[in-house]
Amino acid sequence: MLEFFAEMWGFAFMRRAFVATTVLSISIAPVGAFLVLRRLSLAGEAMAHAITPGIVIGFVAAGMSAASLLVGGLIAGIGVASLAALLARRTILRSDASLASLYLIALAAGIFILSAAGSAVPLQSFLFGSILGIDDPSMLLLGGVATVTLVSFAVLLRPLIVSTCDPVFFESQTRRPWVAEQIFMLLVVLNLLAAFKTLGTLMAVGLMILPATAARYWASTITGQLAAGFVCALSSCWIGLTLSYLLPETPSGPAIVLVAGCLFLVSALFGPLGFGGSFQSPSDAEARPVPRIPPQGRTP
Amino acid sequence: MPAILQIRNLALGYPGLTLFRQLSIDIEAGTMLAVLGANGSGKSTFVKALLGLIPPLSGQLAWPKGRPHEIGYLAQMSDFDRRFPIRVRDLASMGAWRGLGLWSGLDRAGRNRVAAALDEAGVLPLADRSLHTLSGGQLQRALFARVMLQDAPLILLDEPFAAVDQSTEEHLLSIMARWRREGRAVGLVVHDLSSVLDHCGQALLLGGGIATHGAVESVLTPERLVAQGYLSESQAAWMLRDPAASPASRCA
Repeated sequence: MLEFFAEMWGFAFMRRAFVATTVLSISIAPVGAFLVLRRLSLAGEAMAHAITPGIVIGFVAAGMSAASLLVGGLIAGIGVASLAALLARRTILRSDASLASLYLIALAAGIFILSAAGSAVPLQSFLFGSILGIDDPSMLLLGGVATVTLVSFAVLLRPLIVSTCDPVFFESQTRRPWVAEQIFMLLVVLNLLAAFKTLGTLMAVGLMILPATAARYWASTITGQLAAGFVCALSSCWIGLTLSYLLPETPSGPAIVLVAGCLFLVSALFGPLGFGGSFQSPSDAEARPVPRIPPQGRTP
Repeated sequence: MPAILQIRNLALGYPGLTLFRQLSIDIEAGTMLAVLGANGSGKSTFVKALLGLIPPLSGQLAWPKGRPHEIGYLAQMSDFDRRFPIRVRDLASMGAWRGLGLWSGLDRAGRNRVAAALDEAGVLPLADRSLHTLSGGQLQRALFARVMLQDAPLILLDEPFAAVDQSTEEHLLSIMARWRREGRAVGLVVHDLSSVLDHCGQALLLGGGIATHGAVESVLTPERLVAQGYLSESQAAWMLRDPAASPASRCA
C-alpha cells in the first residue's frame, strides 16, 4: 500500500495534481456551499459552460497560458451573466431561460471555434481536464484564486449568510445589497476557471456542487456545511486522482466528480437530513393564511 | 408625541401605474398603524418605500429626529427560505448584526439579550433547533425575537399573522403592545378585518387610487371599504346586518 503511494507520488505531475486539487478544494468548497444554499446550483452549471468560448478564444489567440485563460474566461463569464440579466429584465424570458439560451450558444461556439482553429490540445482534455496539464502558471492561478476567495469570504461571510437566508431582510439592512451578490458571482467564475485545468469545462462545476449538496445532508449549521463540504471536496479529489492514475486512459475530471457523486449518494441515503434521517419538508399548508371570522359591530 | 416620520404628499407606484398619491401622515412614537387594502393596492410597496427600498414617485419622507440606523422589519413569510442551515438562536441574532459589523461576535450581554428575546417570544426551548423543524407559528415567533433585537424606534410588519394560529397571534400582539408602551411606532400590514384592528389606533386604507388615513373607526367604515375596493357591497351588507337576526344566533 505504502509502496503504491510512494510510486504514485514519485511522479512530479502527480504531486502537483494533489497539491493543486487540495488548494482547489479549500477555495471551491465555500463557493459551492453558497451556490447551493442560494438556489443557484443550475446557474452555476450554466456559468461553467458560458465561460467556454472565452477560454477557447483566449487559447486560440494567445496560447494556453494562465493569463489568457483568466482574461478570456472572465470576459465571457461576466458578458454572459450581464446579457442574461438584461434579457430577464427587459424581455419576457425569465432569468433561468435567458441564462440557459445563452450558455448553450456559448458552449457550442466554444467547441466550434476550438475545432475550427485546428487546436493541438485534444478536445477531451479541454472538456474533461487533464492532470498532466497542471504547470507552474496554473498552480499560481490556483493559489491566487484561492487567496482572493478566502479573503473575500472572510469579509463577506456574514453578509452572505444573511442575504442567503433572508434576502428581503438583508435588503432592508444595507444600502448596497447587490455588492455581496456581485462579488460572489465573480468568485464563482474565478473558481470555475481555477478548476478548469484539472477538471475541464464540463466537470468543473461538479466539484463545486456535489460536495456541497452531500454536506447539506449532514450539517445543520453553516459552519458544519462549510467544513463538511471541504472534507467531501478534498476526499473526492484525492480518491479521484488516484483512480485516474490507476486507469491511465481516464481523464481526471470525471474520476473526481464521480467520487464526489458517490459521496453524494451515500450522504443522501445515510445522512441525518437524507432518506435515513427524520427530515420532513416544512409544511406548505402552514404558509397559507388562517381563515378568520370577520368582526361584527365594528361599524358605526 | 413627537413624530418619528413625517410623510408628505407621497405618491407610490411603478412605471405606468400609480397606486396612490397625496398621502401625508405623521407617524408618532407609540402609534400603531394598521395598513389595509385589497391585493395589489400597494400595502407591501408602502412598507418598502418607508424602508427606502422603493423610491417614491413624488413626495418626501422626513425624519425629524434623523433617520434611525435601524428600522425593524418583518417581511411576508412566503419570502423566507426555511431550509437554510441555521439555528433559531442565530436567526434571532441577525437582528443584532448591525452593531457587530463583519467580524466581532456577541459578548455575554449580547447573548443574554438574544436569550431574553427568544424567551419573550416563547421560543427559548427551541433555540438550538434548525429552522425546517419549526411550525409556521414558531418561525414567526423567532422572527419577532429578531425584530426585538433590532431595537428600532419604527417597526414595520408585513402580514405577520398570515401563517400563525390564534394563540400565537395573541402572544405576538402582546409583544407589540409592549413596543407601543416603550414609545416605538409600529406599522402593521393586515390582510383582513379582524380583532387585530382593536389593537391599532390608526388605519391607512389603500385602494381605488387613493390612500385614506385616520383613526380606525373613521377610516374603516363600510362605505369607504366599498369605495376603495376592499369589500363588495354584499360583503359590506353582510357585516352590517343585525347580529340578532343572523342564522347562527337564531340557532343558539
